[in-house]
Amino acid sequence: MTLENAMLVFSKDWREIRRNWQVIGPLVVVPMLITVMLPLVIILIPTIITIPGTSLNIPVTMFENLPLEVKLEIAGMNISQQMTYVFLLYFFAPFFLIIPIMASSVLASDSFAGEKDRKTIEALLATPLTDGELLLGKILVSFIPSMLVTILAFTVYSAVVDVAAFTLFGGRILLPILLWLVLIFCVTPAVSLAGIGITVIVSVKVKGFREAQQLSALLVLPIMLLIFSELGGLIMFGPIMLALLIAGFVVMDLIVFRLGISIFKREDILAKSV
Amino acid sequence: MLAIETRSLTKRFGASTAVDHLSFEVEEGEVFGLLGPNGAGKTTTIRMLACIVSPSGGSAKVAGYDIVKESINVRKSVGILTENPNSYEKLSAVENLEFFARAYGITDRRRVSERIKELLDFFQLWDRRNEKVATFSKGMKQKLAIARAIVHDPTILLLDEPTAGLDPEASKLIREMIERIGSLESHTVLLCTHRLEDAERLCNRVMIISKGSSKVVGTPKELRNRMGGHPKLEVTLKEVNREMVDKVRDLVLVEGVEVDARSARLLVTANDIQAVAPYVVKTLVGTGAMVMRVNVFLPSLEEAYLELIKEG
Repeated sequence: MTLENAMLVFSKDWREIRRNWQVIGPLVVVPMLITVMLPLVIILIPTIITIPGTSLNIPVTMFENLPLEVKLEIAGMNISQQMTYVFLLYFFAPFFLIIPIMASSVLASDSFAGEKDRKTIEALLATPLTDGELLLGKILVSFIPSMLVTILAFTVYSAVVDVAAFTLFGGRILLPILLWLVLIFCVTPAVSLAGIGITVIVSVKVKGFREAQQLSALLVLPIMLLIFSELGGLIMFGPIMLALLIAGFVVMDLIVFRLGISIFKREDILAKSV
Repeated sequence: MLAIETRSLTKRFGASTAVDHLSFEVEEGEVFGLLGPNGAGKTTTIRMLACIVSPSGGSAKVAGYDIVKESINVRKSVGILTENPNSYEKLSAVENLEFFARAYGITDRRRVSERIKELLDFFQLWDRRNEKVATFSKGMKQKLAIARAIVHDPTILLLDEPTAGLDPEASKLIREMIERIGSLESHTVLLCTHRLEDAERLCNRVMIISKGSSKVVGTPKELRNRMGGHPKLEVTLKEVNREMVDKVRDLVLVEGVEVDARSARLLVTANDIQAVAPYVVKTLVGTGAMVMRVNVFLPSLEEAYLELIKEG
């Protein structure tokens, strides 16, 4: 197996993907909604409309469950600053797990199952490229862009948060902080790889892109569960949660990739495409 | 040297047998046809020879390499036009060919560029080289798929239904292209088709397969003779009578005479029709017959094919 051949598959697929708006569309729209809309909603809405005092008590459970260090961080802030700070820096963090998992599953579905749909798979499988080179090339074309999108989304989110909250916090820069850097550079790659691994397994077994994408979309469900658990005050974004996420997703990566590699066989892929 | 050699090659999918103990040999430089109806096992045979699917039994060597133990070498030696010869539609013709040239191990960029120019010129696609394949007609896509199959200059070319789904004009063009490839680049070609016209026109030898097993192998001429009988001499007269028929029947080399009295037509059977034809005409003229027309009547490959397929 050579990296050069895997990169050949990567560059071919990437050329195709970037000319396909069906794939690029969700890759651009979802991160934009998360990175721009979320901070603006939390910062601008309370300043535009007057919110009754009781409404600010709605997330009281969440605030009660905040770790001590966070409670200390927000101790000297007014209620508006506390709301903004906690939501932007803590409650919205799990949304950033949706970006890599969504991006990687869309890209992997297109790259693996899309070839079946477009009936280009047989000619590709007839080349002397090994199973390993094909698999690695297709993993890279799903992983690299999904990580780039995640990092770009984080950069935009940080900029929007810092600009929008500039006046509210008297010129203080809120992001990036270490917790977020660990989230983006340690957790999201593991999440992205899990998304790819599961999509590879699904793609080998299904007949086309749509089927693969629909099944892969189910991957967002555990992340949604995480978000709602946090909103319900069950868990809190912090060092412990990050450590658990890294450990959990690394184990998941190892399992799904082992399974993915074992079922990535030319004959099985072709059998499901005809 | 044999380019392709199969011994009892078998492929089963669950309970059904797609290819059943298929044995055949293809000489280097030969254009060999696999002729059979849909579902006969042609595509599965090609896929096994291209190492895309593995055999359930038997063995095969392609370009001297075992298809199971030396699959990478087989793939390098073979160019394949698959049953679904789709190209990457969002890429241009050049981008498609570049990818496959490099996937088949051609790393020298100059060599890749020269080969692509040569092929796109040959297939009359050079002017559209930078356009996305999605904008191409079906015939153009098929030409590009054949170019893709030979971009690495393989010694053996496996073509699966190269004219399927094309209009008559495009089919003719593709047939001419295949003939030219065979003569210019001296490839061994294994051609899968259910079109008799393609087999008759392009193949040196043909194997008729049905339900995964071989029915008969030979040149198109041999198959015609074997299944449809020898050529016949068709003689149309102004009028025919019993004396004329008897005199022809008495000729030494003549094996039989059929008469159609209404159209005054004789159908003469002989082992060597070319040799007997002058004597038949001379004899008929000698009996006072007025010969209007003489034809050598060849049985078609289609008749042979249909006969075999009917037998199953």
